[in-house]
Amino acid sequence: MITKRIHHLRAKIMTHCRKNSPWLLHYDCGSCNGCDIEVLACLTPVYDIERFGIINVGNPMHADILLATGTVNLRNKKVLENLYEQMPFPKVVVAIGACGLTGGIFREAYNVIGGIDKVIPVDVYVPGCPAKPEAIIDGVVMALEKFDKISRMPNAGMPEASGEQRHD
Amino acid sequence: MSQIITPVIVGLFVAPLVGGFINGMDRIITARMQGRIGPPVLQPFFDVIKLFGKESMAVNVWQAFCAYSYLVASAIAVVLFFLQSDLLLIIFIQAAGAVFVVMGALSSTSPFSQVGAHRELLQMLSFEPLLILVIAGIYLETGSFKIHSVYTWGQPLIIKLPFLFVVLVYALTIKLRKSPFDLSTSHHGHQEIVKGVLTDYSGPFLALIEIGHWFDVILILGFCSLFWSTSWIGVICLIIITYFIELLIDNTTARMNWRWMLSYVWAMGLSLSSINLLWLILG
Amino acid sequence: MKILPVILIFLPFLAAAACYLIRNHIIRHAIILISSGILMICALLLTTQVPFVFSLGSIFGINFREILKIADFLLLFIILYFGVRTRNVAILVLAAFQIVLLGYLEFFMPQPVVPSPDFYCDFLSLVMVLIICIVGSIICGYAIPYMKRHEEEQNTLVSRQPVFFFVMLLFLGAMNGAVLSNNMVFFYFFFELTTLCSFLLIRHDKTEKAVKNAARALWMNSLGGAFFIISTAALLSRTGTLDLQVIIHSSGETNLILMPIALLFIAAFIKSAQFPFQSWLLGAMVAPAPVSALLHSSTMVKVGVYLALRIAPAIKGVFLTQCVTIFGGFTFLAAAALAVGQTNGKKVLAYSTISNLGLIFACTGLNTPEALTAAIILIIFHAVSKALLFLCVGTIEQRIESRNIEDMRGLYTQMPMTALITVVGVIAMIMPPFGMLLGKWMAMEAAAGFLIGIIMIALGSALTVMYWARWAGILMSDPFAGKFKMERQPLLTWASLLSLCAGIGMFSILSPWIYRWLIVPALATDYTATYTADYGILRNAFGVFAVLPLAILAGVGFVISILAVNSARKSRIVMPYLSGLQTGEPRVFKGPMEQMVTAEARNYYLASIFGEDKLTAWINLGALVLITLLVGGTL
Repeated sequence: MITKRIHHLRAKIMTHCRKNSPWLLHYDCGSCNGCDIEVLACLTPVYDIERFGIINVGNPMHADILLATGTVNLRNKKVLENLYEQMPFPKVVVAIGACGLTGGIFREAYNVIGGIDKVIPVDVYVPGCPAKPEAIIDGVVMALEKFDKISRMPNAGMPEASGEQRHD
Repeated sequence: MSQIITPVIVGLFVAPLVGGFINGMDRIITARMQGRIGPPVLQPFFDVIKLFGKESMAVNVWQAFCAYSYLVASAIAVVLFFLQSDLLLIIFIQAAGAVFVVMGALSSTSPFSQVGAHRELLQMLSFEPLLILVIAGIYLETGSFKIHSVYTWGQPLIIKLPFLFVVLVYALTIKLRKSPFDLSTSHHGHQEIVKGVLTDYSGPFLALIEIGHWFDVILILGFCSLFWSTSWIGVICLIIITYFIELLIDNTTARMNWRWMLSYVWAMGLSLSSINLLWLILG
Repeated sequence: MKILPVILIFLPFLAAAACYLIRNHIIRHAIILISSGILMICALLLTTQVPFVFSLGSIFGINFREILKIADFLLLFIILYFGVRTRNVAILVLAAFQIVLLGYLEFFMPQPVVPSPDFYCDFLSLVMVLIICIVGSIICGYAIPYMKRHEEEQNTLVSRQPVFFFVMLLFLGAMNGAVLSNNMVFFYFFFELTTLCSFLLIRHDKTEKAVKNAARALWMNSLGGAFFIISTAALLSRTGTLDLQVIIHSSGETNLILMPIALLFIAAFIKSAQFPFQSWLLGAMVAPAPVSALLHSSTMVKVGVYLALRIAPAIKGVFLTQCVTIFGGFTFLAAAALAVGQTNGKKVLAYSTISNLGLIFACTGLNTPEALTAAIILIIFHAVSKALLFLCVGTIEQRIESRNIEDMRGLYTQMPMTALITVVGVIAMIMPPFGMLLGKWMAMEAAAGFLIGIIMIALGSALTVMYWARWAGILMSDPFAGKFKMERQPLLTWASLLSLCAGIGMFSILSPWIYRWLIVPALATDYTATYTADYGILRNAFGVFAVLPLAILAGVGFVISILAVNSARKSRIVMPYLSGLQTGEPRVFKGPMEQMVTAEARNYYLASIFGEDKLTAWINLGALVLITLLVGGTL
């Protein structure tokens, strides 16, 4: 009984901390930079996402959330995979913009794969061309809900528990 | 016995909590200076707990060794400070911890880590001699290296050692990795592209280093407190003003290269401390 | 007649002769190991007898001093012979000069009326004897497998090991003789004998470079010998005695003997390869690793600082002693700066040796009990740590065939055990609670009131941390997740490396007791030791270093960290961050056109500031100025 309550409390604290300290990694898979500018706009005093403990980090090893923009082409597909692999669990992926979701107007181009989710599993889709900062923040908040689910599982947050499947 | 146990407990458990709290304040004040609101004050604790909850992922298993050794060394240094031990010894232990961080970063083959590690070494090269000279000044004034004797000294040290206090502020800016001396790694997104010396530490290991950093903050502020040990109000004012100056410098300057750092800090630090030490020796 | 010192000095000579004559390598190895063992035991037994004085009297009816006189001339003529053979004018002139002066001293100067004891052993000598016998024996043991491998590498047809071990053992005897001598002429003889041994061992490989560097070492050290003999003659004429103890304590006539003492200091500087005489020690790095470990870091170069410590009481409170501090501090700083700019591992070790010897000189010059305690502690721990590091580099060099630090990147994957031992050696140089740092701590606390001294020591020690930390770091620089597997090395190699490692750890923990048993009595005659060593805590009026508690804490920290390593083995091992372009290979990333590119990261050597070509000339100039100051101050 006690252990269960301790476990419950631990999961609660952990969820709280995870939801209040999401560190973002932002990767541009061949976007026109429209979405990227909007992502960075979130950090400015106008939106100030550090209010929610969000930090934009430059290193997948420190990141919790991968924000990916752009169409994904044959060249940067591997990079996207690598970055995703170097992120420690638990992690979520937010695909941003029309290109990130489907390939957008470049969908038919010869070198375009067309969508982040063709390469790595995506948890949240944020549409828009470009996506508005408010929408991006909304997407991140939705992604945080995923942590809620992960923390409540036994052996929380570890690869086998989070039900991730590697796409190779 | 309680003379030993109380400082040990305070040093081990209260000090890092206070250090984390100061870190939270740091982030809020920095945000306000940039026209933002900033995170809650408990943000550093959220970050660390989250990092502990992450998957344990390593580039090289020796990184784990280095991260733990750094934490242990930092903790010992702070505990010795609260036990009012020898200043020089505390500096050496603190430096040993920093060397472990560097060794851990060097144990990765990533060029980002490697460059960060060397920059961290250059930072140590810049400030360690200055700290030793500050301590030499404290010895010349009080006749002892023991913190105990410094705290029981009759008048505030800052009166006799004003320049050495300035030198200490230089050293602390480097040790806290504040601009313009944040070469090895910076906590600001606009300064740091990857993460310098901390690039390949992740999850729980990064959390350990973060906690070690909280210990360091306390140690550093402890050094400041030596300069006005006669009154509590004086100590607190001195610490708050010093830390605020650090933040102001941090937010108004940009990162410089190591050449500039080494020559500037050594030139300023050595001349200022030589003048002050000469006052003490000849005056 | 005391038997122990006789064994300590003459057993190595006999064993050396046996090594030379007996060509069977098994018997030779047995002789080396057995005589090393006896030396170690004798050195330990000596602890029960100090302090004592003794003279040798006569052997086979011939007065021992006469034998030594002949040996002295013989030695100088051998040096002269090598001068002729290498066609080196400097050696020739200096050897001839020494022969003339020694002849004048022996035959034309009035000999001392009061006979003085030939040998004198106090705790300072004992410290040296212990270092020589214990570290020296371990290194000789290491040399056995090393030289076998070395000759295989060099494709030597006729083994030259008999000569090698002959000189090595001869050297041990000479060292013991030097530190036990009380008569200046005796000291001079052994001093020159170590010079000759060093020369023979440097040119052992007979390559062009080795011969050239050996000749340089010989002429520089002959210069030291010349200063020594001038000083001896001057002391004899001014004080009428050759008894070192009497000379040191003839404080009434301080001003009279100051000039010869200054010359003696210069002899010591040369022997310890201080600036501007550092080039002989740097050149000596061509020698095989055991030679570098034994002669050029742990023992022979220590004769210089031993001599300085010995004569320190004579210069208490004189301007000369401040000059020595400034000179030592300057060398400490300058050599550390040069070490930062080096990529050659052995050169880093050489500069670090020079640097640490400089620190010891600085402590000697401070001439306070704290500073001298620091000096002795530094001597002990530097000998052990540096011997270990030299042996490690020798072992590494035989495997990877390079001395370049950059080539040792990721050595852990190739030779995990040696890499770990090297890291331990490096950590022992710079971190608490190890003895080197204890010595440095004492040195800084002692120098805190001396402005120039503390500035130079503070800067030098920061540079020291820099060049050690990066070396230790890159040894481990490779992804590693597998099981720890020890590489194959001969048993004697492991035995010597591990025993030195264990020695560092043990002596560091025991340093408060070492202080109480050896250093307090070593200083007792002329100083009052100020530290107390209760409960393993060294403290005095103004400082405290809790050696034992810190060692325990460090041990706990070590265990925690090792457990962390074990649990980290279970964690997911990923490739280092390479901007997302990493491949399965460490360091390799996928570049343009799907080409594999290897990412290169090198250490900062800061050659634009700390390069030899930038600094050496200025440092030599500075050192010359300081030496001039030192001598001039005694006029």
